[in-house]
Amino acid sequence: MAAPGITRLELDLDVFAGPFDLLLALILREELDLLEVELADVVLAYLDHLEARDELDLEAATEFLVLIAALLELKSRLMLPREEIEELDELAPAEAAEELLERMLAYARFRGAGGFLAARREAEQGALYRSAPLPPALRRASLEQAEQAYDPAVLGQALGGMLRTPAPLDLRHIATARVSLSERLAVLRRLLRRGTFSFDDAVQGADRMTVAVTLFALLELYKRGEAEWEQQESFGPVTVRADTSVPAVA
Amino acid sequence: MIERELEALLFLAPEPVPVDELADALRVEEDEVQAALRALGDALAGRGVVLRELAGGWTLASHPDAEEAARRLLARPRTPRLTPAQAETLSIVAYLQPVSRPEVARIRGVASESAASALVERGLIEEAGRSQFGAILYRTTPLFLKLFGLRSVDELPDPSEWDPSPEDEAALRERLLRAGESRGEAPA
Repeated sequence: MAAPGITRLELDLDVFAGPFDLLLALILREELDLLEVELADVVLAYLDHLEARDELDLEAATEFLVLIAALLELKSRLMLPREEIEELDELAPAEAAEELLERMLAYARFRGAGGFLAARREAEQGALYRSAPLPPALRRASLEQAEQAYDPAVLGQALGGMLRTPAPLDLRHIATARVSLSERLAVLRRLLRRGTFSFDDAVQGADRMTVAVTLFALLELYKRGEAEWEQQESFGPVTVRADTSVPAVA
Repeated sequence: MIERELEALLFLAPEPVPVDELADALRVEEDEVQAALRALGDALAGRGVVLRELAGGWTLASHPDAEEAARRLLARPRTPRLTPAQAETLSIVAYLQPVSRPEVARIRGVASESAASALVERGLIEEAGRSQFGAILYRTTPLFLKLFGLRSVDELPDPSEWDPSPEDEAALRERLLRAGESRGEAPA
């Protein structure tokens, strides 16, 4: 039911003049063709009405929105081509009936066949068939043959080997170069005490691992503020000196 | 005499055996197998097992008289009846195979997924590839032939025998026409 404020909304449209609820009633009774009603005018009339009232009745506004939305949906459906319905509408009643009849006849045939099959299955339930596997003697390889072809002891050995957990691998023969960070830190600090030195001096004759760890140790010293270093150009010599700006924390 | 050997082979075989396989196993010509099959069938008249030609081969089955006792012995109850939906779906597959699921649904006028799945589950139909539009195609299985006592699907009766009689058809048309006219006169 429309709220009082809405039903009393007076409309003056091209095809209709009167209250909103009468318009609704006429449309629902199909005495007025919705396609001829300009719904935008209805909305405009409502907005005018709102402006005149100068207050917003929330309930009435909601009611109007619901009603106008329903009308818009109804109208848009009327305007859009309705394929399925039109398809049937276009067919004369006789044609539509004929089409339907054909489908029903095709279905009746298979419904009958289905009944026949169901009855046939019931009638056939009396016959039972062998469902056991072939006797061992007729299978492709009998147990006796298998024993002749494969020595059980060999198979057992092969299987046993797979089931045993192998001993852990002995890796002692692989030499791992061990260079500790603290060791390299000690070397660098010793050099620092003597003053400035170049990185090359620190790693003279050392292997790659030692060079890498030494560089890491140098980074550590730099982070702690014990040393600072500079390099004038790429791949040039790196000069390291004790950081004098911050007192060293050993 | 190959008749005894033939009987032994059929006793052992778990599935119907085609004549050519019997001929290979017996090392004789197929017509000799056919003659032996006839003789064996005659010899088994009135016995507890019957010789049957099913699903493209020959097999021994227990006589229906023995069914109750056999089911007690094997503790195997009868399988439930096909539901009408399953029976209709099965008949469409049997007559029109390979047939797609949408085609089955079109003929029955309702979706037939669950009926088709149940038939697959029971081993009566199986997938047979895809249609050109990608829909699953179905065909019947050898188990279908065996359980329905058929040599092949060609043995199924002409389905036109279930078409409604001309009188029924006329009555149906009349009813549909009347319904159509009343709809045309007073649109709801």
